[in-house]
Amino acid sequence: MTLRDAEAALPPPDGGRRIQWWNSKPFDIVQFVLLSGLLAWLVWRGAETMDYRWQWHRLPQYFYEVIDGELLWGPLIYGLMVTIEIAAWGMLLAMIIGLVTAVLRLSGSFAGRIVATVYLEIIRNTPLLVQVSIFYFVLQPILGINNPIWTGILCLAFFEGTFASEIIRAGINSVPKGQWEAGTSIGLSRAKTYIYIILPQAIPLMLPPMTGILVNLIKHSAILSFIAVFELTTEARNLIGDTFMSFEVWFVVGPMYLVLTISLSTLVAWMERRIRRRR
Amino acid sequence: MRLPRLTLIDLVIFAAVIAGVAYVGYRVETVLIYKWDWSVIPNYLFRWDEGQGSYVPNLLIKGLATTIRIAIWTMLVASIIGIILGVARTSNRLFPRLVSWAYVEFIRNIPPVPFLFLFYFFIASQIMPLLGIDEAINGASPGTLAVAEFLFGPANLMTNFAAGVISLSMMSAAYIAEIIRAGIQAVPKGQREAGQSIGLSRLALMRYVVLPQAIARVVPPLAGQFITLIKDSSLVALISIQELSFMAMEIAISEQRFFEVWIVTGAMYFVVCYACALMFGQLERRIGVHMR
Repeated sequence: MTLRDAEAALPPPDGGRRIQWWNSKPFDIVQFVLLSGLLAWLVWRGAETMDYRWQWHRLPQYFYEVIDGELLWGPLIYGLMVTIEIAAWGMLLAMIIGLVTAVLRLSGSFAGRIVATVYLEIIRNTPLLVQVSIFYFVLQPILGINNPIWTGILCLAFFEGTFASEIIRAGINSVPKGQWEAGTSIGLSRAKTYIYIILPQAIPLMLPPMTGILVNLIKHSAILSFIAVFELTTEARNLIGDTFMSFEVWFVVGPMYLVLTISLSTLVAWMERRIRRRR
Repeated sequence: MRLPRLTLIDLVIFAAVIAGVAYVGYRVETVLIYKWDWSVIPNYLFRWDEGQGSYVPNLLIKGLATTIRIAIWTMLVASIIGIILGVARTSNRLFPRLVSWAYVEFIRNIPPVPFLFLFYFFIASQIMPLLGIDEAINGASPGTLAVAEFLFGPANLMTNFAAGVISLSMMSAAYIAEIIRAGIQAVPKGQREAGQSIGLSRLALMRYVVLPQAIARVVPPLAGQFITLIKDSSLVALISIQELSFMAMEIAISEQRFFEVWIVTGAMYFVVCYACALMFGQLERRIGVHMR
């Protein structure tokens, strides 16, 4: 009797029973939808007991207005643009800072390692809110930055730069040592080994976590509402101050962030799957 | 110890650092003409109390105590929710997986600040009255109150404190759930199969085979999460919970000494977090020895 015959003779793993309807996938999905509905109902009930007056109809004018046939963007769209701007510049600067830090750490230079370690430990062991405060209240006047948005971008870039440096270092270290030796053995210089051999292998590995940094930048940019940078959260808070539509505004601003971050997170997951398949 | 070899690169880096520091010093001294005044700080750490005739902790130290209290309680609450969610994430059934997945992805993709604002606004008005903390405080004997004050901070702020802990726990639970899930999934499949083959029930399998192995893997990242929590607890300052950052904001404004107060506050966070990091590093090394 071959192994396959033996398997065929045995009952299937679930004991041959048919899957009961309450154990089936569609039923689980129905349960999930019911639970979501229950939560939404609880929130709605909560708002009712607070005598909350829903005013959804007042919301669209804060996205856009058409005055004399001209389209004017509202504060929420402006806020979103500023958030994206912060994330884009922050990403660029974080990558530069991360690269410099990673090079300093990998260089084997004594001073470089000290500088990198001090930078990493300070950023890692203090809250972002305190960093933002120090950048805004201490460094902004000292360095003479006129626009708080640049203070914010700089602060976020230094914060995310620690993650970027870690990603770059891990990416470069993950290239097997044999690749280095191969490059050296065919007479390539250190720089050429980096450009032609190490980086082409390391960069695909770095891409997914780097996109993760972009997600973090979008999330953490909300902290800048604390220092009068007019990004999405600040605009939302000002709007609530003006109109008292707390629920409506947060229920719209939350999904705006979610659309940005989830689309990026999905991209990360897709890239990771592709890389894993290629290996 | 061998002295490190100094190269040209080292000298260039040192020169750059010194130039940076000198530039900052020049800006502070001659352009801003800032007069440093550190003398206000010690008074906010400890002040002389006439009535008791001794030094008592003042705002900054009290704020630090609140920060640590928040971190510890949040860690506790978030771990409970996080373990449930993490185990649900590895369930065979779709329903728990779906619920846990939705929660984790929602929290991880929404910025903490808007979440805190919305959630705080909601729970402060909806859930906190249900907990009945104020009634409990009013009915408590002085002895219980003293214990409660040690555990949760000043009585008049306890409702506020609880709201902050709940909001932070909701956020932290998602990250802890991911840690737990990773820990459970790192337990080799053969271990589960071995448990099943000797006829353990699903619960017993979790209790005796999977979780003990998962916990050893989960402790280091959980320790890291605690440090993250100390740092993230500064966010609840934005919803007026009187921890270290909140106190710093108040003092900086009332004294108009932004440089000194924020630098000291940063240093206080740094000392606590760095001490925790060193301690957990030691702990991890010990666990590592046991695992081998």
